[in-house]
Amino acid sequence: MFRVLLRIALLSLRRRLSRSLLVIAMIAMSLWGLLFMEGLYDGMTEQVIDNAIRSDSGDLSLFAREYRLDPGLERLLAEPAEIGRFLDEDSRVRSHVSRLRQDGLIATAHYSRNAVIYGVDLGAEDRHGRLASYLDAGAYDFGDKGRGALLGARLATKMKVTVGQKIVVSAQNSANDVSALSLRVVGILKTNNMALDENAVFIEMNKARELLMVPEGVSQLSVLLYNKEKVAAVQQGLRVRFPELDVLGWDELYPALRQGREMMEIFNLITSLLVFCVAGLGIFGVMLVSVLERLREFGIMLAIGTTFREIRTMVFVESFILGFSGYGGGVLLGGLTLLYFYNFGLDLTMFSAGLDAFGMDAITYALIRPSYFFTALAAVSVATLVSVLLPLRILKKARPIEAINKI
Amino acid sequence: MMFVHFAMKNIRAYRNRSLVTLLLTTLTTALLVFATAFMDGSHQKMLQNAVEIYPGYVQVTHQDFRDQPSLDNMIFDAKAVRQVLATTPGIAAFAARFESFVLFAGAEKAVGGMLTGIEPTAEEKLSRLASSLVSGAYLADHDGNQLYMGYELARRLKVKVGDELSFVGTGADYSFAADNLLVKGLFKTGLFEFDASAAFVSKGYFDQVMAAANYASHFIVLPANPSGADLLAAELNGRLDQQYLAESWRTTMAGLVQAMLVDSIFGYLTLAVIFIVIFFVILIYTWLTVFARMREIGVLRAVGTMPGQILQMLVTESVLLAMASVVLGGLIGGALAYYFHLHPIYFSFSEEQFKQYGLAASSMPTAFAPLVILRDMAVMFVLAVGSTLYPIIKANRVSPMEAIHHV
Repeated sequence: MFRVLLRIALLSLRRRLSRSLLVIAMIAMSLWGLLFMEGLYDGMTEQVIDNAIRSDSGDLSLFAREYRLDPGLERLLAEPAEIGRFLDEDSRVRSHVSRLRQDGLIATAHYSRNAVIYGVDLGAEDRHGRLASYLDAGAYDFGDKGRGALLGARLATKMKVTVGQKIVVSAQNSANDVSALSLRVVGILKTNNMALDENAVFIEMNKARELLMVPEGVSQLSVLLYNKEKVAAVQQGLRVRFPELDVLGWDELYPALRQGREMMEIFNLITSLLVFCVAGLGIFGVMLVSVLERLREFGIMLAIGTTFREIRTMVFVESFILGFSGYGGGVLLGGLTLLYFYNFGLDLTMFSAGLDAFGMDAITYALIRPSYFFTALAAVSVATLVSVLLPLRILKKARPIEAINKI
Repeated sequence: MMFVHFAMKNIRAYRNRSLVTLLLTTLTTALLVFATAFMDGSHQKMLQNAVEIYPGYVQVTHQDFRDQPSLDNMIFDAKAVRQVLATTPGIAAFAARFESFVLFAGAEKAVGGMLTGIEPTAEEKLSRLASSLVSGAYLADHDGNQLYMGYELARRLKVKVGDELSFVGTGADYSFAADNLLVKGLFKTGLFEFDASAAFVSKGYFDQVMAAANYASHFIVLPANPSGADLLAAELNGRLDQQYLAESWRTTMAGLVQAMLVDSIFGYLTLAVIFIVIFFVILIYTWLTVFARMREIGVLRAVGTMPGQILQMLVTESVLLAMASVVLGGLIGGALAYYFHLHPIYFSFSEEQFKQYGLAASSMPTAFAPLVILRDMAVMFVLAVGSTLYPIIKANRVSPMEAIHHV
């Protein structure tokens, strides 16, 4: 019986082919737009978060108690090797890296600015967060004598410093005296992490120890995991093992980025709701007219023994054919579009100054998440189902058998 | 007139369809008007805050200062610039500043920051420094080594009002400059980075200690009409010596201006997705109505009505509906824009994000601009009428006999 109903439904849709195609096109276009928008906006948000995680926070960071509130050399992680050993034994941990950090001043022969000095191990940083991939100019190497420095891109622009130029960094050391170090700029890093690009001067770890008179200890230990879903569990484990330390997730270190992600989720949800409500209205209009113009047809079917349940199934089948065809078209169009932007990205270089102000990459790569397609399927199903409920109610009340006698 | 009469009758006869079209177009128009007002208003507010807190509407610098901000490219004859500014019409206020980066050292900590010499009384009209006072007092013109500093910088240095700290920097003549400063007041602008790095002294004192008498890194100028900043900058460039350059905030803050443009583009992209669906629905509803009247159209054609006249009648219907909808939508959107212009929307949940991007604005007024509202209404009118043309033209192409037999 279902095959007969399916055939009748298909024939009905074919009879009003242009109208059916319009509804399918409407659903397909709305899905296409939504998928593109969701994938692109999520791509933007996640890229910014990824930059922050890779270049600074990791999935988790360990600090001495209250270092974040009052950063200074008197609050260091005294035993980074012990923490390192503990992390090495954890199979969920992909990598970890230590940094020494101090606020200071950077100066050229003509100009000076406040800066944050980071003592780092470049090899470890590259293995950890692929820091070398952010190199914008020069080389990713402090040189044989370790007298090179890598500068954040915006700091270099503001200082008007280029690769090869000399700089002097000065900062307060652990003896509360101001000490200075002359270095040569070997490279410029553009991480799109605004805090780093604006202020960071990366220098060799041993040079930083000399400058700051800190023979041991580090300010921060950044940890990356294989699986982001394990962050809470690893964080809890570290808190139990090292209760004297602050173990903070990336979202605690960058609350603005977490807020941005949450806002984007709400924004996408509202837009999707709006679009599917309107699309549902379109399906409703077509199904209502489709039911009303066939009252006599349904009356005859009822008169020859078709049950109302079978007619209802037929109407549902019609609307789901429309809905799922539109879904198929939208998924195909949207999926292909996302695939293109996933591979090649959306090049917004012409707005790079504006994107820099928001800490965004000039080329945005779209994300493709299975949830986009499942959510869209659920939304199309609900919109399709809800949009035929009223026409069916009207059909039931209209007493189709009486309609046979009407002209 | 006859067509208007017919169109009105038909609109009344197909009340449900007319109502849906009216509702959808009204909502869409209101949404566009409000969204535009919100985007424009929030961008204006963000830019206004960013400009007025410190950078100002027009800056006069040495022409090479932006490319090479060194002590060699300062204004070395501030009196001459002052004279030009005093005699240029359209200027509400102006003052000289000298920016320098130094290392501040408290009893426990040393932090790099910006020490700027300002003319306190004139500065009150030019920036929000004075109104951002949170404790202590603002500077006076005759003040000596008294410091007005950012709240976050004071927190980092662990000093409060009445405490003493020292600074080390480079004088305008490249000499070593250092002195003790007394904290007179603390300010909080809401721009975290600024509050964490900026401190001010009176220019009289600064000139003495930094050997900067009659020097300035730049002049800040407030136009009598802030929206005419570009014109004023052009006027000043005609009057000032060629070694100086006047630039409006659109140039000095080009990155932020472009960021707002990018934000608008993505805002309109989202609206476009919603509008595509809405106009598909209007197209579908027009299709349903027009084809429901196919027999009527056939009869009209059979009794001698010309296709052009039928086209006119149907288009008039669509124009009347669109007109009523955009007027209604414009009024609703305009009323919302006006209300939220007077009562700005407060975004407490995105405060962190605004802080990170240096926007210092968590309450956003909408822009109420009647001309922009009229432009949006005109756009919606064209789109609403345009989306009904396809079914109207298609129905008008059917032959009279086919139309009469249309089921």
